[in-house]
Amino acid sequence: MDNQFRYTDEELIARFQEGDEQAYVELVNRYRDRLMTFVFRFVNDMEQAEDIVQDALLKLYTHKHYYKNIAKFSTWMYTIAGNLAKTELRKKKSHKTTNLSQMGPEDRDYELPAVEPDTDEVAQSEYIEKKIQAAIQRLPLHFRTVTILRDIQELSYEEISKIVDVPLGTVKSRINRARLQLQKDLKDLK
Amino acid sequence: MDRYQFEDAISAYLDNELNLSDRQAFEAYMDANPDAKALVNDIRATMKSIKGMPKVKASSAFMPNLYKRIEFEKNRPSKKIVERPSKTLFGFTPLYAGVMTVLIASFITVGVNLWPETNPTGQQIPAFTGNVTPTPANPVAAPNSTPSPTLVANETVADTADTTIIKKKKFQLNDKVQFVKDQR
Repeated sequence: MDNQFRYTDEELIARFQEGDEQAYVELVNRYRDRLMTFVFRFVNDMEQAEDIVQDALLKLYTHKHYYKNIAKFSTWMYTIAGNLAKTELRKKKSHKTTNLSQMGPEDRDYELPAVEPDTDEVAQSEYIEKKIQAAIQRLPLHFRTVTILRDIQELSYEEISKIVDVPLGTVKSRINRARLQLQKDLKDLK
Repeated sequence: MDRYQFEDAISAYLDNELNLSDRQAFEAYMDANPDAKALVNDIRATMKSIKGMPKVKASSAFMPNLYKRIEFEKNRPSKKIVERPSKTLFGFTPLYAGVMTVLIASFITVGVNLWPETNPTGQQIPAFTGNVTPTPANPVAAPNSTPSPTLVANETVADTADTTIIKKKKFQLNDKVQFVKDQR
């Protein structure tokens, strides 16, 4: 197991495709929290995020042979998780639940939980996190995806372009516009 | 550089993706416009805050639940686990490829049978002469053969401009058809 850390993701999935279940466990350990961060920032619901990440990792198990070694494994995994997250959000939207992003500007004062800025450092950072999370939720879906992948997951533009399946120039433009919108929304944090 | 160009290039500048000349132009614009410089600094700070958000961790129940679901999928009567995807021919599975081939072959066969018959060589089909036995194509080639009495209904067309007149065919009837005396 120790020497598995020497394997790349692509080598691990190749081993898993040959039937090595330990390789699957290693891949899950590598990607579980990364995908949790990505999906939670996307859907803003911990329970739902866990379900989606489990679905994605289950898909990795049941459809392992669908991965072809022509793309990076991480790209494939993020694509699966992103698609599942989008599907869930669409379902949620169709259930007519109130979405933060659908609120008008006048509602926005009430959208955060009652966490007031405190002298306590932890409370302060929690407040900032919730404020940023709410601002991310207000972004349109196609802006939200690229922003999370770039500024939180720190993926390259090229990889993001493959994950969301849009041209590189479009990815750059979306990231730029998303950052401008976030800056406007989070002005009062400064 | 104008304001629009400046705003379009902010991310490229912050991600260090501008070439030297564009970078110089961008920085010159910032130096000339303090509000532009403040905007870039704000966006940089926002990015830093976003990057600084804590990583989300899965709960302790995550892995047991995942293994439970995997076990469920393994033991499911209608197994969802794909052991190895079937090979495809032009994107079709062998079954669909076979069905498609049969359909295309049937379509071609039916199409050919429904097509109006034409003479592929473009030759005129000879008029019916009443001759059951085949006659030599070239009479010169068979000089010894005695010409059989034939009746030729060779009527000239009086007015070829009149398209309502149907051209009458030449009848070449051999001795197997005998005519009685013309009553007229």
